[in-house]
Amino acid sequence: MSISLSRPRALAFSLPAIIAILPFLGACFYIFRFSISADKGVIDGYSIQAYVDLMTPFFGRSVWLTLKLSFVATIIAMILAVPLAFLLTSLKSPLARRCLTVTILLPLILNLLVQAYGWILLLGPSGVLNSTLKGLGIIERPIFLLFNETGVLLGLIQTSLPLAVFPIVSSVRGLSQEHLEAASSLGASHWRTFVDVTVPLLRPGLVGAASIVFAFNASAFAIPLLLGGRRVQMMGVAIRDMISPLFNWSGAAAAGMILITLTLIVLVFASWLVRVTSEEVRG
Amino acid sequence: MRVGLLPTEGKSTYRFTVLFLATIGILISSLPVVVVTIMSFSASDNTGFPPPELSLRWYWEVIAMFTQEDASSAQSVVDSTVTSLLVAFIVMAISTLVCIPLAYALARGDRRIREGMELLFTLPLVFPLVILGIAFLLIAESLRLEIGIWRIVIPHVALVLPFVLRNCIGAMNGISVETEEAAVSLGASPLRAIWDVVIPLMRAGILAGLIFALIISFNEFTITFFMYTIDVSTLPIWMYSRTVSSLDPSTLALSVFIIVADVVLIVLVDKLIAGRANLF
Amino acid sequence: MNEPPEKVADDIMEKRKMNKNISRRHLLATSAGLATALAMPSLVRAQPLAGKELRLLTWSDNTGLAILDHIAKPFEERTGARVIADRTGSTSEMVAKLRAAGDRPQYDVITLAGVGAVELAGDGLLGKPDLNMLPNLADVDPRFRTGADGHGIGYLLWTGGLIYNTKTFQEPPTSYAQMWEETHKNRLFLPPSTWTDALDTIFATGKLLGGDGTNSAEAFAKLAELRDNILTFGENPAQLSELFRSDALDIGGVYAPAFYAAELNDPANSNMGATYDVDEGFFADLMYTITPKSKPGDDEVVHAFIDFTLDAEVQGIMAEAVLNGPVNQKAVMSEAAKASPFIIKPEQMGDKAIVHDKSFIAEVREDWINQYNQTLS
Repeated sequence: MSISLSRPRALAFSLPAIIAILPFLGACFYIFRFSISADKGVIDGYSIQAYVDLMTPFFGRSVWLTLKLSFVATIIAMILAVPLAFLLTSLKSPLARRCLTVTILLPLILNLLVQAYGWILLLGPSGVLNSTLKGLGIIERPIFLLFNETGVLLGLIQTSLPLAVFPIVSSVRGLSQEHLEAASSLGASHWRTFVDVTVPLLRPGLVGAASIVFAFNASAFAIPLLLGGRRVQMMGVAIRDMISPLFNWSGAAAAGMILITLTLIVLVFASWLVRVTSEEVRG
Repeated sequence: MRVGLLPTEGKSTYRFTVLFLATIGILISSLPVVVVTIMSFSASDNTGFPPPELSLRWYWEVIAMFTQEDASSAQSVVDSTVTSLLVAFIVMAISTLVCIPLAYALARGDRRIREGMELLFTLPLVFPLVILGIAFLLIAESLRLEIGIWRIVIPHVALVLPFVLRNCIGAMNGISVETEEAAVSLGASPLRAIWDVVIPLMRAGILAGLIFALIISFNEFTITFFMYTIDVSTLPIWMYSRTVSSLDPSTLALSVFIIVADVVLIVLVDKLIAGRANLF
Repeated sequence: MNEPPEKVADDIMEKRKMNKNISRRHLLATSAGLATALAMPSLVRAQPLAGKELRLLTWSDNTGLAILDHIAKPFEERTGARVIADRTGSTSEMVAKLRAAGDRPQYDVITLAGVGAVELAGDGLLGKPDLNMLPNLADVDPRFRTGADGHGIGYLLWTGGLIYNTKTFQEPPTSYAQMWEETHKNRLFLPPSTWTDALDTIFATGKLLGGDGTNSAEAFAKLAELRDNILTFGENPAQLSELFRSDALDIGGVYAPAFYAAELNDPANSNMGATYDVDEGFFADLMYTITPKSKPGDDEVVHAFIDFTLDAEVQGIMAEAVLNGPVNQKAVMSEAAKASPFIIKPEQMGDKAIVHDKSFIAEVREDWINQYNQTLS
């Protein structure tokens, strides 16, 4: 092989990015150091008290709720993202493709306060949906889609959808046409091709996208605040409350470390899954 | 012609399911924006939906805000917009410049190192932003840094790295070693081969990364909320103090302006870098 | 050169005093000409603070906006100083930012709720304003002149009561007990745990049960009954206003009418009403202006600004704009504002007003916030 990357050159290529991420790693270390500080407001001494204080049923429920909502939101986001990626890659008109791309990116662009406001107009107790259903005589009392777990789920799906769609789009672009053509020329139905050929080929991309979406959702805090009406106590909200008004900064750091550890476990598991399955495919 | 993913003809359940789910996805993404956009054209003062009459009055109000604002007494919306744009472009440039060589090194290098590095560069996405924001703030204050706009640029670069790197790696995956070898065998130096062969092939991925960096930095709120100073502030911060105090249709009109600004930026970058429409 | 250091220090002090005297005379002159100045702005030529800058941190909600319009702008016109305002955050977010900045604050003047001033004073981050440079303080009700151990200067009285839907209630509710009515299930809001109003709510519940408000164990048990009745916590005042407008909420509290000056004037469209006339009482909290110990700006402009917030006219205008009680006893208010049931002047407080014992609140605060969260969300 004539193209081999010598170690010094690989290092030189990686160095700028490593420098760019250093301040972030510094911040991570700072958070870790704060989480084992003996003082709640400044870094001073060592203690695991912050972690011990978190061992309450309330915090436990918050962890469980965070994992549950992030997981469900991730599954639904993936179920919606795959068809969107298929649609996006098969659109022929560049204009249609651009419009669809921008539409999918919108939730990343628009201020969450304003989006939450849009949802209230639509799904609020006297929003468009409820008044329509009432007008049609289908319901008597309004159905509550906001300010509860449903509202948070909806918001999480919405904000994380772009993060799911675009990695899948690049995987779909990388799909080998031969495989698909072979399957279709053998007379396999669309569903069969999808299950037997497309999904296994896309699997690394799918797992990668899902793990990003999961991580992103697990750390959400504006969504539970605005669409959960504060009644859905996800960890992001709990961490914010500790920063202000409780000024329990070591506690916030410890809760942050726990959240990061849980998410990392999921990410490492996902990357292990990709490795195992891609080895299978290579067979 | 592409096969299999979305059949063009027929009434199969497969095609129906794919289109049905995609439609739901589109609705979830866009409905709040559609409602907000309609409301911004309302002629009335309050926010009853649907608006009884349409008008452009709130748009004129926003334009007046940009053109007639007296410089004193508040964070200026013009200054904030300029800062936001400046930050977004610097972040975009830095993150892309550092990610392209890294993506190349990872794609051609040791697989185990690659997995570790990918995980490392996913971390910024995982960290809860609130705690990250206060950590950055405490560090900047304790180091007594006077770095102006870089207060915001440095954390933003970290935040967008995962997106840019993923897109660059995705682009590298599609480029076979053989292409590069061919260039080298024709007498190009390895670096020359990267510049002339690999980077042009990576273009779509690079572009996607650029656009993600731009959008995320331009709209980032949580970390900026901790890091901004009274002199260096961004548009989302300005927008936040406005939305908290009043959610009238002029705020919605301003949101529509921001959406348009984002779309224009996306198209601009697309045209500049890709020339003939590569990304979408 | 060889003078003893004490002598040098004395000299400096002497010079400073002289400067202060001069500037005070300037200020007095300007405030004396205030009435004329308002009538004929072109006459204001003397701009004693021209070229100076003041960095102000205040709330992001409409109360902060009112400060810009009714305090910062006229102050600039009158003095020639430039006010740069940062209008982001709640009291606790301001405290977090100031704590993080430590001895390098960006701001000269901050307006915030009492608790915040007490916290920051406790950290030793605040300077003590020189009361001699605040001539308007003489007109302020003696109870509300200073606080936070002399670090905070009284600003306005924040008052909280019940907010209700005028379509549902023909007559204003007269007790917090209304919130427990079954008919308001899913049409009820409460203040978020992060706000002082949440502590007020716990207090009000305690009083409702016949205690003095500090009977928190009972109060939490009673509040727990509301758990499944709450539609939302009022984290965002504008969101609540939208929910009232669309007739999705009936009642909620303890919450401040301060956010809703416009809505309360127009109940036909907003459906919003507010009342302090509740059996268990309403809540009053003195808000402060404070100044950090190592502020970037200079003393003269800071004191001039703080003094200006206490000006009789400014206090009257602000009271009307944000429905807070003026602390200046000579506050100049319009007839409408005088008649407004939402603006509580110090002399109207009577025995219905509950003013918390700051040290008691400081003691229970953390515990109450946690319990409130755990009971209700």
